[in-house]
Amino acid sequence: MAVEAPVKDARTLVEAELVSSVAWLIRLRWLAGVGVLLGTWSTRALFGLGAATVPLYAIGAGILLYNLAFYLVEQRLTQTSAATDSFRRLSVWQAILDWLAMTLLIHFSGGIESPVIYFFFFHIIIVSIFFQPRTAFGFAILAAALLSAIALLEYYTILPHQPVVGFLEGPLYKNSLYLAAVLFFFTSTGLIGAYLASSIQKRLRQREEEVIRLSESLRRATVRLQTLNDGARVINSTLDLPQVLERLVKSTAEAMGVRACSIRLLDKEKQFLEPVAVYGLSQAYVNKGPVDAATNPLAHRVLGGEIVNIPDISNSSLLQYPEEARKEGIRSVLSAPLMGKTGPLGILRAYAVELARFTLGDETFLGAIAAQGSIAIENAMAYKAIEELDLAKSQFIRTVTHELRSPVSVVHSLLRTLTSGYAGEISGQQLDILSRAGRRVEYLQKLIDDLLDLAVGKADFWKTEMYEPVTIKGAVDKVVKRFEVVSREKGLTLDFQDELGTGAVRVLGTPDGLDRIFNNLVSNAVKYTPPGGRVTVKMSCVGEKVRVLVEDSGIGIPEEAMQHMFEEFYRAPNARSIEREGSGLGLTIARDLVMRFGGSIQVESSLGAGSRFTVTLPLAAPA
Amino acid sequence: MSQQKILLIDDDPDLRLALRLPLEAAGYAISEASSVPEARIAVKDVKPDLIVLDVMMDTTTAGFQLALEIHSADPRSEFKEFRQIPIIMLTAIHSTTPLRFAPDEDYLPVQTFIEKPVEPEVLLAKVRECLGK
Repeated sequence: MAVEAPVKDARTLVEAELVSSVAWLIRLRWLAGVGVLLGTWSTRALFGLGAATVPLYAIGAGILLYNLAFYLVEQRLTQTSAATDSFRRLSVWQAILDWLAMTLLIHFSGGIESPVIYFFFFHIIIVSIFFQPRTAFGFAILAAALLSAIALLEYYTILPHQPVVGFLEGPLYKNSLYLAAVLFFFTSTGLIGAYLASSIQKRLRQREEEVIRLSESLRRATVRLQTLNDGARVINSTLDLPQVLERLVKSTAEAMGVRACSIRLLDKEKQFLEPVAVYGLSQAYVNKGPVDAATNPLAHRVLGGEIVNIPDISNSSLLQYPEEARKEGIRSVLSAPLMGKTGPLGILRAYAVELARFTLGDETFLGAIAAQGSIAIENAMAYKAIEELDLAKSQFIRTVTHELRSPVSVVHSLLRTLTSGYAGEISGQQLDILSRAGRRVEYLQKLIDDLLDLAVGKADFWKTEMYEPVTIKGAVDKVVKRFEVVSREKGLTLDFQDELGTGAVRVLGTPDGLDRIFNNLVSNAVKYTPPGGRVTVKMSCVGEKVRVLVEDSGIGIPEEAMQHMFEEFYRAPNARSIEREGSGLGLTIARDLVMRFGGSIQVESSLGAGSRFTVTLPLAAPA
Repeated sequence: MSQQKILLIDDDPDLRLALRLPLEAAGYAISEASSVPEARIAVKDVKPDLIVLDVMMDTTTAGFQLALEIHSADPRSEFKEFRQIPIIMLTAIHSTTPLRFAPDEDYLPVQTFIEKPVEPEVLLAKVRECLGK
């Protein structure tokens, strides 16, 4: 599950702004410096006015110079990733030098008569944007003070007046009314400007903070939704209960942004709540003591179906171990019930180090997680129950089979001893009778073996991890060789066509299983084909599958028997004429194995003309 | 040449009978034991040339345990004189179950296995083979 990096809070956003704006102002200042130089030049060259060009050029050059210094410092600060304070100090210095330059510029371009005085407003606005409102007002007053100082100093001729010659009809700097008016309007504009800029900036900043807050909320909500979604996926991806629960507690704690999360489940007797998955708690706390579902007050309430929010554990009588919780660093706890279809399963709990950490939204969220978790737990428990039942059944089958096999095997041995003549001479008829008995016993043995195969096969249905890639050619080859002698003796042609080509062709299964499948098919083919006939075994690759055909020219299968061929104990009517006793399980076992290996089996036949069994098995993925 | 002695250890009296008849007919002197404790005494009394032992008697591993004891390499073992006696083990393990025991000199110092039901001819052939060495 991806956890997004948290958005910077409002303060760091302002700081980032400061850093980038320092660079921006330095860029603007290049223009300002050039502007002063150009302006000075054009006064004379374009407008033919007289001005104190030397000081003005000097100021322009000075601006460019100190801007260069600022530029170099800023580069160094950026490269060394200096703290925001350094940038702040840099901007303060910029302000100081700018204002100094501004003042000098005004003085040398006519003082109170200079049109440049209005440029002060730029600086006031800039300051309002980057500093607090109080600072902005301060600067506005400072500007007014500086201008007033120049005006008064020139008025009282303490400072020499430096007019732009030819600009005005007559000197205004001695006009006290003019001075007062301009100063008044300048100061009020400055203050009002500072006020407006600051107010707008303040509102912008408030909006920004709200956006950040909302986006943080949104992010958290998204993470929760993601957790719920991931949780659902995780739950469906594995039936390994401990794994499911471990993931669940971890992702719940992360999504809620709390220290720990735990799941306790009711034991078999439904008496105690055992910790099954824990994230973020010490082992000592987890093992603090038994949690009795009936007597533990918190457990009792939660298991009744209630989500319980404890904002302060020291203030709550519900906790059974408040001391241990406090030592662990926990201050508030939120518990949600895990409810199964037939009753409570356990408790899902979130632990926080802050007091009153959990909101109504948290309660809803934990409740949703608990609901999902309950489904997963029940599924996994059901699966485990099935597995256990299955195991018990397998065990039972093995025991029963052994019990059946043992006496049958002894009877066989006794009969064989007798019929082989080791207990004395026996008459022809006695031999005949004993031989018949012996054959029936052999049939019983085969039947028991087949039944065991079938039952174990069904029981082992789940255990597909027992299968491995097996070379099909080897398996089929072995079976065909086994029937060579019998076929020859019976006068049958046994034809093996291998069209698999070079390279090992492998299917997923077991060697014994494959042997059994083809043994049964070929055995049938040989059995039910009269002398002079033909049995063909053909292997080929068709797309992603292997196809094995076992075809015979034997007695064939009647129409009405076709649909029953793979049924347990079914024997086609015409089969009895060839072999009186057959278990009727051969094809059932073959098909069971084929299907377990992921394949399919088909039969085609016409009565009297022969039959064809087609086994199709998927290729095993290359190892 | 004196008769070769075979000790049959199996808790099933019927199977003991079925095995004894062909072996006696082939000229071996047969002794029987029907449990592991009985077998321990019989080995020392009879001093057989070959032992036929059923894998499963009281428990699924009783036969194996006894075989291990008899073939133990421990110089203090009570069976130290009998270490070299060949043992034929009778098993009833079906071919499709995952367990398959093969003669392994290090772990199971038995000579050979026969699957039940036992064919008299198969038994005789194996006995001849083991005693022929």
